[in-house]
Amino acid sequence: MKANRSGAGARRPLIDGVEKVTGTAQYTADLPAPNALVGRIFRSPYAHAEIVLVDTAEAAALPGVVAIVTGQDCDKPYGILPISQNEFPLARERIRYRGEPVAAVAAVDAETAERALKLIRLKVVERPAYFAAADARREDAVLLHDNKRGNLEREVHNEFGDVAAGFARADLVREQTFRCAEVTHAHMEPHAALACYEPERGHLTLHSVTQVPYYVHLSLARCLDMDPSCIRVVKPFIGGGFGARTETLNFEIVCGMLARAARGTVRLDLTREETFLTHRGRPESDIRMKIGMTREGRLTACEMEMVMRGGAYGGYGIVTILYAGALLNGLYDLPAVKYDGYRVYTNTPPCGAMRGHGTVNSRFAFDALMGEMATELGLDPIEVRRRNLLKAPTETINGLRVTSYGLPEALDWVERASGWRSRYGRLPKGRGLGIACSHFVSGSAKPVHWSGEPHATVILKLDWDGGIVILTGASEIGQGSSTVMAQCVAEVLGVDWERIRVVASDSLVTPKDNGSYSSRVTYMVGNATIDAAQNLKKLLIEAAARKLKTTPEDIECLGEAYRSIAGGQTLSFNETTVEALVGTGTLTVKGNFTCPEDFQGGKHRGGAVGSTMGFSYAATVVEVSVDEVTGLVKVERAWCALDCGYAINPLSVEGQIQGAVWMGLGQAICEETRYENGLHTAANFLDYRVPTIAESPPIEVGIIESLDPNGPFGAKEASEGPLSSLPAALADAVRNATGLALRELPLTPERVAGALEAREREQRAAARKSARQPATEGAA
Amino acid sequence: MQDLAIHRPQTVAQAIALHRTGASRYLAGGTDLVPNLRRNIQKAQTLIDISGLAELRGIRAESQSLRIGAGVTLEALCASDAVRAHAPLLAEAAALVAGPTHRVSATVGGNLMQDTRCYFYNQGDWWRTANAFCMKCDGDTCRVAPKSERCYACYCGDLAPVLLALDAQVDIAGPTGARREPLAALFADDGMRHLKLAPGDLLVAIDVPVQAGWTAAYEKVRIRGAVDFPLAGIAVALKRDGERIAALRVACTGVNSYPGLVPGLDALVGRKPDDAFHAALDKAVRKEIQPMASILTAAGYRRRVAVSLARRLVERLYG
Repeated sequence: MKANRSGAGARRPLIDGVEKVTGTAQYTADLPAPNALVGRIFRSPYAHAEIVLVDTAEAAALPGVVAIVTGQDCDKPYGILPISQNEFPLARERIRYRGEPVAAVAAVDAETAERALKLIRLKVVERPAYFAAADARREDAVLLHDNKRGNLEREVHNEFGDVAAGFARADLVREQTFRCAEVTHAHMEPHAALACYEPERGHLTLHSVTQVPYYVHLSLARCLDMDPSCIRVVKPFIGGGFGARTETLNFEIVCGMLARAARGTVRLDLTREETFLTHRGRPESDIRMKIGMTREGRLTACEMEMVMRGGAYGGYGIVTILYAGALLNGLYDLPAVKYDGYRVYTNTPPCGAMRGHGTVNSRFAFDALMGEMATELGLDPIEVRRRNLLKAPTETINGLRVTSYGLPEALDWVERASGWRSRYGRLPKGRGLGIACSHFVSGSAKPVHWSGEPHATVILKLDWDGGIVILTGASEIGQGSSTVMAQCVAEVLGVDWERIRVVASDSLVTPKDNGSYSSRVTYMVGNATIDAAQNLKKLLIEAAARKLKTTPEDIECLGEAYRSIAGGQTLSFNETTVEALVGTGTLTVKGNFTCPEDFQGGKHRGGAVGSTMGFSYAATVVEVSVDEVTGLVKVERAWCALDCGYAINPLSVEGQIQGAVWMGLGQAICEETRYENGLHTAANFLDYRVPTIAESPPIEVGIIESLDPNGPFGAKEASEGPLSSLPAALADAVRNATGLALRELPLTPERVAGALEAREREQRAAARKSARQPATEGAA
Repeated sequence: MQDLAIHRPQTVAQAIALHRTGASRYLAGGTDLVPNLRRNIQKAQTLIDISGLAELRGIRAESQSLRIGAGVTLEALCASDAVRAHAPLLAEAAALVAGPTHRVSATVGGNLMQDTRCYFYNQGDWWRTANAFCMKCDGDTCRVAPKSERCYACYCGDLAPVLLALDAQVDIAGPTGARREPLAALFADDGMRHLKLAPGDLLVAIDVPVQAGWTAAYEKVRIRGAVDFPLAGIAVALKRDGERIAALRVACTGVNSYPGLVPGLDALVGRKPDDAFHAALDKAVRKEIQPMASILTAAGYRRRVAVSLARRLVERLYG
């Protein structure tokens, strides 16, 4: 494929980058709304309690307070999954975590709103609260949700292949436990919403930071009991999402409720602390991983038990616990897998989807243990991975289809780039190399809401001026979706970049899109955009043929001109456009994309989760040095190769991979949320430690292009896949540097130093013991 | 954040005259104070902006010492040729404080006199209300040590241990006149009242003696290479005489409610840093420090690493 300067394969700066770097981009909190009331949320100080009374009388009487809403004002539970809608925008009857919204105020200014919060009286009867999954699962534990026995939101038990036989034929079977701390997205822009209710029309407009305007639209209609046609949802510029905003969040509905109650406009800007409390990040996970391997390093079986501390409400929980098991498959050739997953309700802020949804912690445990076993067998860890490669096209034991597979090339790339063969095992003391691999879906092949519509729809508008407008509901959240779409159009039509504009995510004008989650946009919306551009091209070719009095087959599209091959005459793009409008006016064409049924996963319960039309594949090598006194792990360098099918924009792909490396390292070395009796103790950027540029190693990125048969120009996802390999690669490197297998994330100085000291104590004790016992002959 | 009046005096004398006990606070760079005001954990009706005072500015190399105005920013301290020449460790330590954008406005005086920290204290209004407050602010119980009569908030400044190791003196102006005293005399072992200052006292300058033959080093442990406060920090100044250590000062931060010089090192002077020396040094450091659970990172780790850092720095400086 030949790349033109703005089509597929072009290294273009992001189409919305100018506004961001010049500071003119308007984020939700920047939107002008001069008469907006100020919203504030009253949050529960209790972790688990029955509500007796929410007394707002005194607050309501405060001059300047315009509206107050409580749980009484909405009795419709919501939630991203139709099967687990158990959250109210404002708590009703029961409070389930510290920080849960209980009431909200709209007032003339911030000071009044804050004063009003202090006048709200909450009377409750406290219930026992559980901050650890194990406590919530105890037999005598009070249920957070009455219909969920054992406080289990979902148990998953499945087995594919013959696991017992797999372990039986293994030469080495190892079982270890791993623990991953809860982490959160730490997107730069705090949550914010702006709602305008027009009482005369009964219309509500919500601007919000969402990745999924359509789901927000649905939830607003449900919770506010309004007809969806009376609601407009707009997503302005967004300062990151990473999954935090892939479901409707309480403050979005609360903002709508306040605006309607106040019969006006309400601005609800959350603080950083509140943004942390809204959470939806990756759950604390306890993992028991068992792997069987032949002495040649072939995998024979895997058994995993995963317990997730899910927090107080359902959210994406069922999907997360299913992903954790499903995506054990699809990376390596794994003949047998048994999975037992437990998603547990606890009195902590709800978890949700986070970059690498469900798979990151499983992958950490799997690849870390795989590396340990390679060492035990005296095998090179890269070689072990080579011995377990899949061969595309194939279908995994749990019904996932693999149609393109660039992992072999990715392994070759990181091996070469990192100097692995000459350096692994030969680094000085305290320094180490580690490797891991990972993968992720390019969009979930089955949508959350099965409506029978295509999975993606894009509209192109072309008018007399020759400007092409892409109308899309896909949420640009900094991942580059609008740029990708523009490049798809530029590639198909061959037009100048300047002709193309993108209008995204305003339900009034753009077609519905399921949103930016599961890395679906490039794949699905990209394909829909190509379809739309091809439809437009067809109209233009027909118009050119008409004008040049020839057949469409004789017309060659030159991008900025259309030419008759036989006659040699050309028409400019604008002349062609004018002709195309004759008798019909403004052109609007549509493009669609739907994942065929046979890609939608296995037939077992939950089998749709993990299914996709294309997996991205990543191999990552990390080099670390470990300070044996302080336990500080310094990441010296990282090499990451990603098979993204085809890089529609290599510049953007590189940025996504670098970002994934950072985010993965953050989880691996320093990020963790903590709760003190359910109170979030790290709800700020000082205590929740996202790596700074000081921790950023030089990152070398390799792009592998396997040309997926169904992806747009062969492309697959490029953002979530690489992240999952980081924690395991890092732990592997620390093991290489220190000889210690550390199985609890993050590898903070405290944990590393603790393990080093424990080893020293053991060695001293062993030395004492052997000193007491006279050495027997022959003992070494 | 409550409404505040701001005064902008022209001289130190005016600033002190404007000060009202309990109602006023001096504001320099604001990197410590402003977040605390926003969280309503430090309170004031008026702020006295001392960032414009000429008397607090400037770095001057004098015959036996380096005089550093309390209002010098950390960025200026890092960049100062005089500091790099006469007290390079101070520039190095300043470069470890927070991040570059903080150092643009944060001052030497503010860094020295920063508030103590505790995760039960450095929280917003909602959080502290939900936790029924603590002794240091609005409550009466120390959440770190509930039976304690005192507060165990932790001192986390980076410059103080270095200046203590360098034997610095401080010039303080106040309603009752000016005085010079050793820096160590400024601090008390109390998380709530860690500064021994009278109402209205204002730190004017720091005097760092320039002594030939000394070497010094500072190391702090933290999780990230920027932004983070020290989990434990040790500064060592050492003078070598042949094989022996002729003089030694060790100061710590992040492990007590105050930055302190490790006492009892006199017995080590005149000795070679052999195993017995280090065992005694370990013991002296361990005895001085009392890390508490006011920081999320475990006290045991911070204690062990502080001891190890002291040993490592002495070894490094001894050469």
